[in-house]
Amino acid sequence: MFAFIAKRARNAVLLLFLASVLCFALVVSAPGNVAILIAELRTPTATKADIAKVEEELGLNKPLLERYGFWLNGAIHGDFGISYKTGEAVGASLKSRLAVTATLVAGGAVVAFLLSLFVGFVGALWAHRAPDVVTRGSALLGASTPSFFVGALLVYAFSVTWHVFPTFGFAGPVSWVLPWLTLGFLPAAVLSRVVRVGFEEAMAKPYVLTAMSKGLSRTSILVRDAIPNIAPTYLNALGTQIGTMVVGAVVVEPLFAWQGIGDLFLTGVRFRDFMVVQACLLVFITFFIILNVVVDICITLTDPRLRLQRS
Amino acid sequence: MSSEPILRVKDLTIDLLTAHTVVRPVDGVVYELSRRETLAIVGESGSGKTVTCFAPLGLMPVGVQADISGSILFDSRQLVGSDNETLRSLRGKSIGFIFQDPMSALNPARRVGRQIAEVAELHLGMTARAAETRALELIKMVGMSDPEIRLKQYPHELSGGLRQRVMIAIAIAAEPTLLVADEPTTALDVTVQAQILRLLKEIQSRMNMAMILITHDMGVVAGAADRVMVMYAGRHAIPRKQDAIGSRFRGLPGVPPILGAPITGCAFMPRCGYAVDACGERRPPFLPTAVPGVSAACPVLNIRAKECA
Repeated sequence: MFAFIAKRARNAVLLLFLASVLCFALVVSAPGNVAILIAELRTPTATKADIAKVEEELGLNKPLLERYGFWLNGAIHGDFGISYKTGEAVGASLKSRLAVTATLVAGGAVVAFLLSLFVGFVGALWAHRAPDVVTRGSALLGASTPSFFVGALLVYAFSVTWHVFPTFGFAGPVSWVLPWLTLGFLPAAVLSRVVRVGFEEAMAKPYVLTAMSKGLSRTSILVRDAIPNIAPTYLNALGTQIGTMVVGAVVVEPLFAWQGIGDLFLTGVRFRDFMVVQACLLVFITFFIILNVVVDICITLTDPRLRLQRS
Repeated sequence: MSSEPILRVKDLTIDLLTAHTVVRPVDGVVYELSRRETLAIVGESGSGKTVTCFAPLGLMPVGVQADISGSILFDSRQLVGSDNETLRSLRGKSIGFIFQDPMSALNPARRVGRQIAEVAELHLGMTARAAETRALELIKMVGMSDPEIRLKQYPHELSGGLRQRVMIAIAIAAEPTLLVADEPTTALDVTVQAQILRLLKEIQSRMNMAMILITHDMGVVAGAADRVMVMYAGRHAIPRKQDAIGSRFRGLPGVPPILGAPITGCAFMPRCGYAVDACGERRPPFLPTAVPGVSAACPVLNIRAKECA
């Protein structure tokens, strides 16, 4: 088992390195000269000499390989260079914004986890009866409603009508609830179907007949026999959904005026602030790679057959 | 054999209702079973052997409903018409079950020790730790080597024979008075079959259990059964001491009838080379045949008997 984790970690580092190359290559090959952009920002009548000076400052006149090495070395130490637009260190703003996005995605993931298990369980316990039909219907509706619309509805209900939660802002747990619900709603709908279908399949298996022959109740069969069997599938889907939630954060952050990474990335793209774009890309990719490794390890831990095979 | 039967089944008829069809796999079955006795139920595939034993105890595949009539007295308790909770309290505690395919009957995602122990927890009111000790005892009792290691293993780490031993351990964990074994050796290697059958007999006599052995293997019947009930198309021949059937058992060509449509006459008629008109008119009653002491529900043999007399 330990060897398996070590191997996965090694592969992840390798993949991260490749990703950094890709990030760098993408940004370097983007059209437009950054030096001209910055020189013109400083003095609208920038000359060739001004541009050359900017290139010198940013190290843009050096060979590509050297620039890459310099950038990578900085990135490893948390220094992602200077934002072309604001002149601030990208690393510093990344840190504060990472906390915001992490709060959003972590909360959304918890919402998706709890809600999907609850809804899926209700559906399985009252299979093919009213609660099942209702939860299935709402899951279908939830899975096909875009999050900005869900967010708008939630704001209308809880902020405008009932004044329970603030409409926007990042100021303490009360202000976090609506963004969490907004981000977690769609994944919860998708995941609840995974739970429900998983239960349905598991409950038709011969080992359920064995469990019934032991005299176990339907609820304990669901908990003891079905859950261990659907756990790997569920964790896999949960990992995928957390991945999509990072993408969803790009939509949900502006909705509640949160200064997160998604927001940073969008402004970076808009202003061709390549240092910022590069840094955000790297953060996203790193997150996805780590997520994949964690999901893989979790699946292996929950599936005894895989555990045997991989250790 | 002990005097008072533990199980008295009378006129048991079962209709299975699925979304689209109604079938009658069990039609007027009668038998009795005492402690320490083994009844073998034999018959071709689809002759209603399994349903006879499983449906009255609420063990049905998902989406199938059973309509049960007649009478089943188990330990002088009436099972027909009992609610689900009553049946559930009997399952595992008073009646243990062993299934045909140990490959799929055990939960692949749980350690076998837990799967055995939970029965002791549920029915003997044991703590998790006490139940684990009980599971260890049971694993030793069913003759598995390295019991401590086996407890921690998963089904896929065990061979078919070992898995069936685990299944037996589960079935007897709460010391039931009746053991229902549904083709317990069919899915196993021939060499293992004999071992498992011997183990079953041994445990049966040690625990004073009654056993119903569902099988289509006449070898199993010869080796293990005290009495035999032959089923065909949901009906049965009168159960009798096993030596009377033994070598005189013969097969018929063709396949059993579909049970969707009610059968008015003799169920064997479509496959029987000797059939006469009387066979199709009504369900033949058990009457004497030309052989003294042997009765049969067969107009051909019954008429012969009358002519001889």
